[in-house]
Amino acid sequence: MAVLAALISLGVFSAIAYAREPTTSTPGAVRIPETPYERAEEAAPALAGAASSGPVVLSRPDQRSFWAPVTRLVAVRSRPTRAARVVARLRTRTPEGTVNAVLLLERIERRGRLWLKVRLPVLPNNTVGWVPRESLGGYQTVTTHLVVDRRRLNAVLFRSGRPVFRARIAIGQGRWPTPAGKFYIRNKLTGYRSAFYGPIAFGTSARSAVLTDWPAGGFVGIHGTNRPDLIPGRISHGCIRLKNGDLIRLSRLMSPGTPLTIR
Amino acid sequence: MNSEFTLAEVDRDGAIQEAIEEVSGDSRAGFLTKAAVLSGGLIGGGAVLGALASPAAAATKNDVAIANFALTLEYLEAEFYTEAVRMGALRGQTLRFAQVVGAHERAHVAALKKMLGRAAVRKPTFNFRGTTENAAKFEATAVLLEDTGVAAYKGQAGLIDSTAILNAALAIHTVEARHASWARRISGKSPAPAAFDKPKTKAQILAAVNGTKFIVSQPQMSAQGTPSFTG
Repeated sequence: MAVLAALISLGVFSAIAYAREPTTSTPGAVRIPETPYERAEEAAPALAGAASSGPVVLSRPDQRSFWAPVTRLVAVRSRPTRAARVVARLRTRTPEGTVNAVLLLERIERRGRLWLKVRLPVLPNNTVGWVPRESLGGYQTVTTHLVVDRRRLNAVLFRSGRPVFRARIAIGQGRWPTPAGKFYIRNKLTGYRSAFYGPIAFGTSARSAVLTDWPAGGFVGIHGTNRPDLIPGRISHGCIRLKNGDLIRLSRLMSPGTPLTIR
Repeated sequence: MNSEFTLAEVDRDGAIQEAIEEVSGDSRAGFLTKAAVLSGGLIGGGAVLGALASPAAAATKNDVAIANFALTLEYLEAEFYTEAVRMGALRGQTLRFAQVVGAHERAHVAALKKMLGRAAVRKPTFNFRGTTENAAKFEATAVLLEDTGVAAYKGQAGLIDSTAILNAALAIHTVEARHASWARRISGKSPAPAAFDKPKTKAQILAAVNGTKFIVSQPQMSAQGTPSFTG
């Protein structure tokens, strides 16, 4: 009986489907977009060197970078094994109260366990290490990359390798230098009242190697200013200052997770 | 921090929840506004799935809910395949499958979003929990997602009001069935395990999706508070 009912149902359903077979000349017809088989690889190319037994490079700042939230307290290892030395411990929250996140550099599977090589917001700057996959949340992607040039005193934001933003900046004084290296944008703060920091402040994974007793550990920020006349210049405690208008413009183009290169 | 969220928690404006509720339920506040927007979107949408003869026919709560339900599943599938290809753990026919099916799913997302216009639900945040980074896990998950997709479309087909939307749903449904067969073959399962397929209700599909724990909260990367950076 059930089969009979199913047959009847199927027959009716099929009849409806065939009766409504769309044609390009029928008013109200549904035109289905064509996705050629041959174009599929272009739409989502695999990473070079993929599916090998060695590490797979995930983030390429000139193309696409991956980041992920830290979802549990985790020990970061020097190599992708539980027996390796602990180089840092990651919490799930930043001092500012946002989700702690790390930039993903490489991925490898060892003995059935996935490990991610991540860039860390710790001293010494440029420290990297390995964490198990299960300590991180879902992967997020960005195609932006902020490059800060300390000699030219400018910042350029690239999207997929192309410059989309450029502005003059102020950086740290000689005794409180803005550190060089590879970092990432960690969070974004708004809604505060501080003329000194301007309207918006981005937190980064870079830290002052000098002002280690600064509140929250001396993280380098990218923020606005109440002294635009000092930009460009070497006048800060290590933070990267932009004129407020430039910072607002940057905030519309750049999101947390963006790789940051300071050179 | 609890990063596990249900669909309802993700669905801040209630649109997905509406999609997964029985279509005969109460009217939702703002529906008429969205319906009007949908109609406008359909008129202005031009090609693809938005080429409907009678926009008013699609502007029912029923069809908006079903289309958003479908869109949520398509977001999930599209993101799954896109990430799997990007992660670089696949090779051979499995990689080819992910590339081709991923392109299809992204096309489904684009078509449904265009059809819904401003009534379209936003893309949730996903955590695929390693299933995009291991070929065996990927294949098993692809079978689950595609079988679920086929059953979901089949379950909704008879409930759709608009002929044009029904045609669109059927066009997607048959492609999802092809995906399911392909995924099953790759993973060593029978491509066509039974003579008759059974539909699944929205509640059953929701339970299956929630069971994966693939939909999670969006990471809170912004906050309101005075910075403590070095200045």
